[in-house]
Amino acid sequence: MRQPLKLHSSIALSALGVGAFLLAWEALARSGVVPAGLLPSPSAVPGAFLAEFRSGTWQAMVFASLSHYLSGLALGTVLGITFGTAAATWGVWDAFQAWVVRMLRPIPSIAWIPFAIIWFGVSKSAATFLIALTVFWINYYATYSAVRGVDKDLIELGHAFGQGGLIPRLFKIVLPGALPGILSGVRAGLGQGWMTVVAAELFGISGLGARMSDASGLLATHIVVLYMVTIAALYGVCDFLFMQVQQRVLAWQK
Amino acid sequence: MAKVNGANVNGANVNGPNGNGSAVIDLKGVAIGYGAEAPPVLVDVDLSVGRGSFVAIVGPSGVGKSTLLRVVAGLHTARAGAVTIHETKKPGHRPVSLVFQDARLLPWRRVAKNVRFGLEGLPISTAEREERVAAALRLVRLDDYGRRWPYELSGGQRQRVGIARALAVDPDILLMDEPFGALDAITRHSLQDELLRIHRETGKTVLFVTHDLEEAVHLADRIIVLGGSPARIVQDVRNEPGRESGGFREQVEQLRSGIADNYSI
Repeated sequence: MRQPLKLHSSIALSALGVGAFLLAWEALARSGVVPAGLLPSPSAVPGAFLAEFRSGTWQAMVFASLSHYLSGLALGTVLGITFGTAAATWGVWDAFQAWVVRMLRPIPSIAWIPFAIIWFGVSKSAATFLIALTVFWINYYATYSAVRGVDKDLIELGHAFGQGGLIPRLFKIVLPGALPGILSGVRAGLGQGWMTVVAAELFGISGLGARMSDASGLLATHIVVLYMVTIAALYGVCDFLFMQVQQRVLAWQK
Repeated sequence: MAKVNGANVNGANVNGPNGNGSAVIDLKGVAIGYGAEAPPVLVDVDLSVGRGSFVAIVGPSGVGKSTLLRVVAGLHTARAGAVTIHETKKPGHRPVSLVFQDARLLPWRRVAKNVRFGLEGLPISTAEREERVAAALRLVRLDDYGRRWPYELSGGQRQRVGIARALAVDPDILLMDEPFGALDAITRHSLQDELLRIHRETGKTVLFVTHDLEEAVHLADRIIVLGGSPARIVQDVRNEPGRESGGFREQVEQLRSGIADNYSI
């Protein structure tokens, strides 16, 4: 059995781990074992950040990517939850769409990039479309299984107390009961969404990914690292904020 | 003193409705089965329940006690026969309400909102709704628990909330499906006494399913015994509720032997 660590020692150990990782990286970069252009040193990143920030590029890229991300995330989440709920509660619809879903689902959203560009051009809409697609499937499946998993006894309770009609059943029993599972799906979509942001922008749609692609073309690898760190930080903030909301909404869970 | 009015293996109802006279539930030739192909598990149920009476339904597991309750609640369709509920025509109430063995609270609603659940959609004012929620919580002595989450309650408290929710809709008939079956003995006894008090105070008709004969004899003024295969009513017994009543033991033993005679696997 593992001994649980005290909170402050676990924080200290994490900081130590990150420090050791950065030091080892720095040492490797300075040792000359790897050619300088191939592996930037972490100490070059703050300077890169200041330069990008002063020129306003960093803010512009973050804003562009966030706007792709948030619109794709909102669209994919709402549609995924809606279609997942419909398929899980309405048998006729479930059977009707089952094979279409089976055919479309295994196609990674990156594979849609050619069509996204043909349909929408190299534009914000194309990025939104790709991100929404990724997020849609995650939410669709999470919602589907969460709704299917709602306790049948609670449905019976609804019928016993006059709440058995479609609307009260859906909004008073099924969706609240499925909410923990639905929110897990939303959270997973939050992470997968960022991956698609970068992938979509690597194809030239303006944003963090495009900036990374440009920088790597010039072998400005410290700028690539800067934007990698930026993405990690943005994801961390999104996930943290979402967890705060989730904890409040699910306060009824022990 | 408890007295036995008669056992009838043919399932004919030898007792008229008791309570204050008028029947509130009439079952005629009701049969219950699961699935269209399987043979029925319960047949020939003729039962008339008087308004204000406390009727216990006992019998071994699998005879369809709980399903009979669900037939009365309209949650399950009888294979045959007629079910009549003589509903009081007054607005803002539901004819029947149900208390489940597992309390079955909605975990995402605080206690008061759980009690409110059955009142939603009834044509009553918000003020009346809140007043009825408060009154129901007072009746089960949980006045100060309205803001709690279900997970913060003990098993007995959860079941009280289940009873409050069922009473809040002011039903003609309170259906109880082994409501105390999952509780420890001490909690069970105190809730049984609470239920007797609530029955006295509200005068509600109670149909109470249990497999515990002592519980039936303690609570009910009439005990229906189901047995046999397919099951039918094998005894229909008048009873004087209360653990202290003179014939408590004899009544329990009488029922026990009646069930044993009709119990075949």
